[in-house]
Amino acid sequence: MAALRVLLSCVRGPLRPPVRCPAWRPFASGANFEYIIAEKRGKNNTVGLIQLNRPKALNALCDGLIDELNQALKIFEEDPAVGAIVLTGGDKAFAAGADIKEMQNLSFQDCYSSKFLKHWDHLTQVKKPVIAAVNGYAFGGGCELAMMCDIIYAGEKAQFAQPEILIGTIPGAGGTQRLTRAVGKSLAMEMVLTGDRISAQDAKQAGLVSKICPVETLVEEAIQCAEKIASNSKIVVAMAKESVNAAFEMTLTEGSKLEKKLFYSTFATDDRKEGMTAFVEKRKANFKDQ
Amino acid sequence: MAALRVLLSCVRGPLRPPVRCPAWRPFASGANFEYIIAEKRGKNNTVGLIQLNRPKALNALCDGLIDELNQALKTFEEDPAVGAIVLTGGDKAFAAGADIKEMQNLSFQDCYSSKFLKHWDHLTQVKKPVIAAVNGYAFGGGCELAMMCDIIYAGEKAQFAQPEILIGTIPGAGGTQRLTRAVGKSLAMEMVLTGDRISAQDAKQAGLVSKICPVETLVEEAIQCAEKIASNSKIVVAMAKESVNAEGSKLEKKLFYSTFATDDRKEGMTAFVEKRKANFKDQ
Repeated sequence: MAALRVLLSCVRGPLRPPVRCPAWRPFASGANFEYIIAEKRGKNNTVGLIQLNRPKALNALCDGLIDELNQALKIFEEDPAVGAIVLTGGDKAFAAGADIKEMQNLSFQDCYSSKFLKHWDHLTQVKKPVIAAVNGYAFGGGCELAMMCDIIYAGEKAQFAQPEILIGTIPGAGGTQRLTRAVGKSLAMEMVLTGDRISAQDAKQAGLVSKICPVETLVEEAIQCAEKIASNSKIVVAMAKESVNAAFEMTLTEGSKLEKKLFYSTFATDDRKEGMTAFVEKRKANFKDQ
Repeated sequence: MAALRVLLSCVRGPLRPPVRCPAWRPFASGANFEYIIAEKRGKNNTVGLIQLNRPKALNALCDGLIDELNQALKTFEEDPAVGAIVLTGGDKAFAAGADIKEMQNLSFQDCYSSKFLKHWDHLTQVKKPVIAAVNGYAFGGGCELAMMCDIIYAGEKAQFAQPEILIGTIPGAGGTQRLTRAVGKSLAMEMVLTGDRISAQDAKQAGLVSKICPVETLVEEAIQCAEKIASNSKIVVAMAKESVNAEGSKLEKKLFYSTFATDDRKEGMTAFVEKRKANFKDQ
């Protein structure tokens, strides 16, 4: 990590608060994170919890934070015990945006040549389901991060916005694409062109989030949902996630073809046979992720 | 039908309850159905009503039922009097899923070689509008069947779910595609990955169903909607349905232009200008 810090010191902004959450437990691998907290939760440690932890900057998404997020995602992805992941922030802010200080002096040439923001895509490549538990502000890059997740649970006081237009740019990590697909053209245009925020209730009504929870119990409820998912066959869950995501990438006919092939594939798994047999025998299925 | 039964006996599961609905009237063609009831409804018999009728199995969608459904759809499609179709189940269940016993011992090779579930696609090829009137459970294949229809009306106690994940598989008849397009990513992912159900009210709010009705009047209200549709020009209705299902504006434009080659378009616009009722001839 020390080597990593030296490497990143030229791209990280001056804001590096060394805050540690009181309940912080080191990662199994012993990695010490500066911007996030990562731990396993749930009855059988089947849920990977990642908490963005840069409270003085309202979790502004600096390069270092995204790198650590990607590391934690990789570790949870490779951990055979973890079935689903929960991504959350603080009570006041999930993430208030990208780190503007890091972007302020970039030129077009810098962006193009360095494929700026490319490392943000990692979250979209994760095969295990990720639930965003959003309390407080999810603005700009923070909103985009939440929308990259598979499911969004919002705290009652959560607010979503894409305010990039107010600082003279546009969303750059899928905001215009995912928001529009989620809430429809009119509301997406309004948010992206005015920078206005919507409440958790607006977000639920528009289809952006699927559940609203009290602020204090949001993370626990997200973990419970993750546990439910983690109790199913991991390999079949990955196919189900791939299938739902295909709905955004191809026509209904092509998407249905892909779904059909993935459905057929489940018949090559042990878990499918176990699941259907258990159903017929009226007993609990015992999945082995095979 | 007897020959059909022999043919199908090898694929039908053991659950074959010989229940007949009290108000059952044989099809005009004389076909006797085992798993469904099919009859014409509406003032001028312009609505084809298909009721899934396998109550002991909560209308679990076995091969035989799907075959009979397809036969009824074909008959209504070819009947020039029928303008729209209503598909419903029982009060307790629209359809609680596919027939798991039929699938339990299939291998991947069986599925791939036999194009398993292919005959489910017939419903998506029907040119006339189909309204699903869903009371009770629409789970798994039942939810997928409803979503293949053009309009969904739900009874107050209806519940929708895609619980395939709980038995180690995924939806195989468009569930992940249509549900996501209807209710958005977050809710679709939650339903598909946990197997949890949503209520009729959730479904309406999320855009999956367009109307909630009391349990007792659901089918009647769906028939009224179907009658309304059936009172329009059949050929233009088919173009409108094709257009909504399409993924582009160019197709819509072409279909729109096509309506100007129909007599009904001229009759419809003339009637409007002359402030009288249009008299469509489906030409």
